[in-house]
Amino acid sequence: MLRDGTVSAAHLWKRFRPDRGRTLLRDEVQRLGRRSRRGPAQPWAWALRDVGFELAPGESLGLVGANGSGKSTLLKILCRVMYPYAGRVEVAGRVGALIEVASGLHPDLSGRENAYLYGSLLGLGRREVAARFDEIIAFAEVDDAVDRQVKFYSSGMKMRLGFAVAAFLEPDLLLVDEVLAVGDASFQNRCLGRMREVLAQGTTLIYVSHDLPTVEATCARGLWLERGEVRSDGPVREVLGEYRRAVESEAELIARRGDGPLRVTRAAVTGDEGGVARTLEPLDVVLVIEAEQGWNTRLYLGVTEGPASPVLLFARDVFLDAGTTDVGLRVDALPLPRGRYFLWAGAFTRRDQELVPWAPVARFDVVGPDLAPTPRGVARLAPVHADAAWSVRGADRPHLAPAAADPAPTRADRVEFGGSSA
Amino acid sequence: MLDGPPPELRFRRRFHLGAFLRELWAARELVRTLGERDLRARYKQAALGFSWAVLTPLVYMVVFTVFFQRVADVETGDVPYALFAYLGLLPWTLFSSCVSLGGLSLVSNLSLLNKVYCPREVFPLASAGVAVTDTVAASLVLGILFAVHTYAPRATVVWVPVLLAVQLAFTLGVTLAVSAVVVYLRDLRHLIPIILQVGLFATPVAYGIDAVPGSARWVYALANPLAPVIDGYRRTVLYGTAPDWSLLGLGACSAAVVLVSGYSLFKRLETGFADVA
Repeated sequence: MLRDGTVSAAHLWKRFRPDRGRTLLRDEVQRLGRRSRRGPAQPWAWALRDVGFELAPGESLGLVGANGSGKSTLLKILCRVMYPYAGRVEVAGRVGALIEVASGLHPDLSGRENAYLYGSLLGLGRREVAARFDEIIAFAEVDDAVDRQVKFYSSGMKMRLGFAVAAFLEPDLLLVDEVLAVGDASFQNRCLGRMREVLAQGTTLIYVSHDLPTVEATCARGLWLERGEVRSDGPVREVLGEYRRAVESEAELIARRGDGPLRVTRAAVTGDEGGVARTLEPLDVVLVIEAEQGWNTRLYLGVTEGPASPVLLFARDVFLDAGTTDVGLRVDALPLPRGRYFLWAGAFTRRDQELVPWAPVARFDVVGPDLAPTPRGVARLAPVHADAAWSVRGADRPHLAPAAADPAPTRADRVEFGGSSA
Repeated sequence: MLDGPPPELRFRRRFHLGAFLRELWAARELVRTLGERDLRARYKQAALGFSWAVLTPLVYMVVFTVFFQRVADVETGDVPYALFAYLGLLPWTLFSSCVSLGGLSLVSNLSLLNKVYCPREVFPLASAGVAVTDTVAASLVLGILFAVHTYAPRATVVWVPVLLAVQLAFTLGVTLAVSAVVVYLRDLRHLIPIILQVGLFATPVAYGIDAVPGSARWVYALANPLAPVIDGYRRTVLYGTAPDWSLLGLGACSAAVVLVSGYSLFKRLETGFADVA
């Protein structure tokens, strides 16, 4: 017998027929007619191909991948809503699944009745739900609306109630599928906090999200699905790193093909004297812009980890003559650790009218020191490197001396640190 | 790229009746909660509440009494026709509302079905619970009818549980099969009321079973187990005789076959519910 919270999946395959849109007798009859006339119907499409992994109780897995990569199908198989076509899956213990917001709520019932209904769906008796009822209501912040029908709830309230019910009824495995996107920032933080608490109590967690920093902050292990196959499985930082790089190289630098009044025809990022970019060494950016007429513009250049939010941002008003203009930017000491980064560019008129849309124009790697790992449950907003030295005194002098910090002065033109919250 | 799993990896679900029933028993609380939910949701919206449950058989009874009896001149002995008809209408209404509520129970709970695991039988069973509640409410009228006609049920009423068992087996079998098939073929839901309407006249509700010639009666009992059941109710409750055991036996066999095949069809189709939902 497996311990509660263990997940074991091996060689999972799942297929769908793309032409099975509707399920009507009429369509079935037509399909039969077609089949008898010209051979077999459309082939099956695989949603999962040979997916397998094992989770021990208390482990946390972050599931990432593009839309349609099979994440939700996998979750549905794990919570036994769906059956695989081939393979083996075993989940020990009670499964609490939060797939889509407020999925289990019935609109005609009150919040209280819904909490009990969901509890019995999880296999809990009335008394067990009653014991946790106050916690649920307090977390969902619906105290004065518990006896109101759920159809009169705001969408935020529904989602809070749905999450609270699923997360407080103490499942052995909690599945959370991209549901926090709807809530406001403070509720998202409380949900993440609750997920960490549940983890600390020994519940196994599988968390699906496109919000990579929260995945990194919550999960110890990452699993990247691509077109139904496991691309990568391992420590969350490594998996997310691979995933980010792959996603961004696919989103290939669109702005160069811009067809607006301005075009970025060339973008290059190099280190000192054309070499490779290195931490705390100079960085050169060259941008060639073609204009059909003279424009007074405000030009933005940003360095990102991939998504649109920049780690570093530079802005400058430039008059662009008709024809080609070379724009250069030199950062004296690049405050970025080792990794892959992207140069984003955008140009706007003084009235914020878009001339070149904010988009990636070049990709570059930085060579240098790695960042220190974050503590469990903490998301880092942006990677910034600062040289620092520690000095730790012995037991007889129990002070931690302030580090001789070098805050990496950035003397470049208009440097701002932007918060990245992909 | 692989284009399919090796055949030995194919997922096969073990078909253990014992395990299924144990799981179902563990989910009895859920059946109750779902049934209560449906009742509450229904009566929160309907102003007349439970009287709706009584109204349907009552209206049929009045219609049958006013029209059917005059036209067809049904022979009921010394039993008032209203009682005769109502005793047929109660089991029929239970069957019909079980099939129409339970038949759609999976389709109308797809949002749950698709996201939360539970033994899927709970949905048709909860609907059946609702239908039973309605029928219990409607049988209060039976008491009033007995009082109005100063007629008392006979002592042979002790046979009713046997009849009830046959009736429930048949009703549940049909409900389970219909609910599972409707998930795959959604437009069948429009067919359900039509078939039920035909069924009302193909069942001895407005008339007695003796309207069918004696030689054809055993075929009738096999094809429609409700016929010997309703006849049995009338014999035991109104006429004070035992049920026609040979006909009831045929009906019971047929009901058992329907229950077993309906349930196994349900279990077989169940694995694909989420795929087509």
